[in-house]
Amino acid sequence: MMEQEVVLSPGSSAPALPRFSGVQRFLKLEFLSALGLLPFIWQSLFFFIPMLLLFSMSFIDNSSGTLRFTISHFTQLFSTTYLSIILNSVGLSLLTTLITLCIAFPFSFISIFHFSKYKNIISLFLLIPFWTNFILHIYAWFFVLEKNGFLNQVLMHFGFITEPLAFLNNFFSIMVMMIYYYLPFMILPIYSTLERFDSSIFEASMDLGANRFQTLLKVVIPLCIGGIRTGIFLVFIPSFAEFLIPELMGGDKYFFMGNVISLYMFEEKTLGTAVAFTTLSLAVVLMIVYFIQKGLVLFTRRLTRGVRT
Amino acid sequence: MTRSIRLVGVSKTKNGNKILDNVTLTIPSGEFFALLGPSGCGKTTLLRLIAGLESVDAGKIYLGEVDITHMPVHKRKINIVFQNYALFPHLDVYDNIAYSLSITGMHEDEIDRRVFKLLKAFHLDKLVDKKPSELSGGQQQRVAIARAIINEPEVLLLDEPLAALDYKLREKMLIELIELQDKLLTTFVYVTHDQFEALTVADHMCIMDPEGGIAQFGTPKQIYEFPDSTFVAKFVGNTNLFHGRLGKKGDATLFHASDLGTFTVECTPQKLELIESDNAIMSIRPEKIFISKKSVENFSNTLKGIVNSIVYTGRSTLYEVLLKNGKKIQVFEQNEEHFPQVNIDYDDEVFLSWQKENVVMLKE
Amino acid sequence: MISHSTLKKLTSPLIVFSIFVFLYLPIIVLIVYSFNSRSFPAPWKTFTFEWYIALFAHGTLWISFFNSFIVAFASTFLCFFMSMCMLFFLFIGGKIEKQLSLFYLNLVIPEAVLAVGLLAYFSLLHIPLGIVTVIFSHVVIGLGFIVPALYARFVQIDPRLTEASYVLGASSLQTFNKVIFPLLKPVLLSTSLMIFMISFDDFILSYFCAGTSFQTLSLFLANSLRNGISPVVNALATILIIATGCVTSFIFISSRKHKTRVFAHD
Repeated sequence: MMEQEVVLSPGSSAPALPRFSGVQRFLKLEFLSALGLLPFIWQSLFFFIPMLLLFSMSFIDNSSGTLRFTISHFTQLFSTTYLSIILNSVGLSLLTTLITLCIAFPFSFISIFHFSKYKNIISLFLLIPFWTNFILHIYAWFFVLEKNGFLNQVLMHFGFITEPLAFLNNFFSIMVMMIYYYLPFMILPIYSTLERFDSSIFEASMDLGANRFQTLLKVVIPLCIGGIRTGIFLVFIPSFAEFLIPELMGGDKYFFMGNVISLYMFEEKTLGTAVAFTTLSLAVVLMIVYFIQKGLVLFTRRLTRGVRT
Repeated sequence: MTRSIRLVGVSKTKNGNKILDNVTLTIPSGEFFALLGPSGCGKTTLLRLIAGLESVDAGKIYLGEVDITHMPVHKRKINIVFQNYALFPHLDVYDNIAYSLSITGMHEDEIDRRVFKLLKAFHLDKLVDKKPSELSGGQQQRVAIARAIINEPEVLLLDEPLAALDYKLREKMLIELIELQDKLLTTFVYVTHDQFEALTVADHMCIMDPEGGIAQFGTPKQIYEFPDSTFVAKFVGNTNLFHGRLGKKGDATLFHASDLGTFTVECTPQKLELIESDNAIMSIRPEKIFISKKSVENFSNTLKGIVNSIVYTGRSTLYEVLLKNGKKIQVFEQNEEHFPQVNIDYDDEVFLSWQKENVVMLKE
Repeated sequence: MISHSTLKKLTSPLIVFSIFVFLYLPIIVLIVYSFNSRSFPAPWKTFTFEWYIALFAHGTLWISFFNSFIVAFASTFLCFFMSMCMLFFLFIGGKIEKQLSLFYLNLVIPEAVLAVGLLAYFSLLHIPLGIVTVIFSHVVIGLGFIVPALYARFVQIDPRLTEASYVLGASSLQTFNKVIFPLLKPVLLSTSLMIFMISFDDFILSYFCAGTSFQTLSLFLANSLRNGISPVVNALATILIIATGCVTSFIFISSRKHKTRVFAHD
């Protein structure tokens, strides 16, 4: 019934002394240390230093040929245009996160508990869109929603409309596309968390007198809060920097944070602004992530609040 | 308040297999009832039907006089202790136990009072803040039971609750469960495949057969001493079976076992129909046979044989004796003395004797 | 009229069904139309393979396809190699456990931010943008996956297995090869495959770090998307979707063999 508990501390797979032959020992130790630290070297070279650089570049002005410390890049950003763009991005990603969460949770719950026989097949069919190329996803909906696309053709064929409707190039299509792309990212963590639990806990809850709704609040949600958190972060963080979807689906009407960065990044003059904007956006994301994290902890605490407080 | 459980014509099919076949059973109110049967006979399914976790395909279930066949699980005042305990992993011991009360909106102080009363009774007070994963098997089981009785259900169902515990703990828990039921006077329905557990705890019990029906209903003593069928005789305890012909000669009832001789037996009124049939079976339990190196008087029946194996188990010795026709008989002797006067050894010629009243006649 | 209980019974399957329709309808439409003989937007004419034939003749597309493949392969290999070196170092007693949590950061940062940072970094160091920079950026993401995953599996390995190996006379390297590595293989395989696919499909990092001369498949598709739809792309999409479906099914079926149940109180 219970799995064999093996208590391990990290690195405990190694015995007290490595076993090398004498000559090997001398050659190996230095060489191996160097090799073993490769990932860290890479990490520093291609992650930490670039991030540091990013951060510092936002404070540097290179236009006059010499390097000067400046906050002008940032002050530039505190104008209504830029701020509204950031707000738009936040709004878009929060909305996407919320909607995917509202769809993903009932979906996972129903799949696992009403259709437990088909659990595996449903899992598989969720994974396939997950792994399909990002661009292809966009292309697929593009195909359906385009002026001469599938949906319009069908509607015209059956006589519902006489002229093609503009499904693209508006906020609706952007939202549809965002949800379409990010839904698997939200479903999969929740689904796999829920899957692991034996249905007997939910049966126990109902047996003790809780109805379906109470069981949901007091048992189901607290147990899969981990999956919900993973899902939220897998959707919110990437969707914030999303720019291809708005660009292709929304035409030139909508500008989000990602669009700005991709435009400015490739121009010499606006490089500083782009970098500063990126740093600012990162700060915004991390701040929101922090609040979401705190919110989730409080929410969990409230749900599992026992009788004594 | 406790009531009886009555099942009338209950059937359940799963995946094309008929798990329960037209089961009619009355579980008396206020008793410790055991449901015994081999694995796969449907006893857990029966329990789940009573709890309301599954619905019947046919038949009715009554709690007292009330038909609860279609009552949803959370409305029934029947609680179940699951085999794997099903404790809520995200709640500590206190909140697990308090769960059924916390849903009702009972006042915090009242809940607190009840929970602590149970914590003390079950010796769990030091573990109040611990999560289920931090508890031992025995502790988890006590939490599971406490959780299931705190809201004073009318019936408590237990699905093989001691299966995961080690031997010594199991013995201790059995006694604690009996004492608990004595105190609460709630109807307990205890499902197990271990006949020792069933015989120990039950006021009444029933045996389920592998076809999803009830083989016998009665007190432990009735079932053990007077089994209705070879299935029950073999499942509960051990027995020696002889095939042969039952006949009457004057006042005496005689059993003719092929090439072993004739035995004097007693037959209960229900088994009278076996007389003059060729398919009678005589059953004699190992502990009812007296083994000796010299022949003894005052016994209705005697057989001779050679000791084939001896198994010493501490408080008793189990002998296997080979008869002249190749049949092996089991004999069970209590080790009453440190230094028995007569030592029975391998390959010794021995006499097996038993009284006619201790025989049970069964049909094929 | 549908009774209330039938309605209740129908809502659950309806929800699940409609989600699946939402997820799969565009894909199915895409595949179906890749066989249409007339270039879209025209409605269905006749079944044809001509777009597939045109696909095979399309030069740039193949170049970008191979580019993506090489990048994915190289990224996966580098991640694999470096993480195995690190694991061996851990195995023989290197004390770097605490620093391993740093790798989680790679996935918390939005890809675009990382891309911008790398672009600025490469420009500053005057590193020419191209296949190398793309590979390097993908490896950063890959490490964020493979290091935590391998480490998690590594600490689960019973130390008594290692002890048994030493007792029987094996050296550290032999033990690592014959005991540790086989036990890590499932995780290694699935994570490597995951990194491969992430790298193959990656858009944002490639967009920023590829420069003007190098194009991956994603970049190619994004470009052609800007020019509107094309049935040749449909054909490519169909092939890719079917390939993804097969690979995913394969991973899925083989990983199910290792699944274990978590009981309520575990």
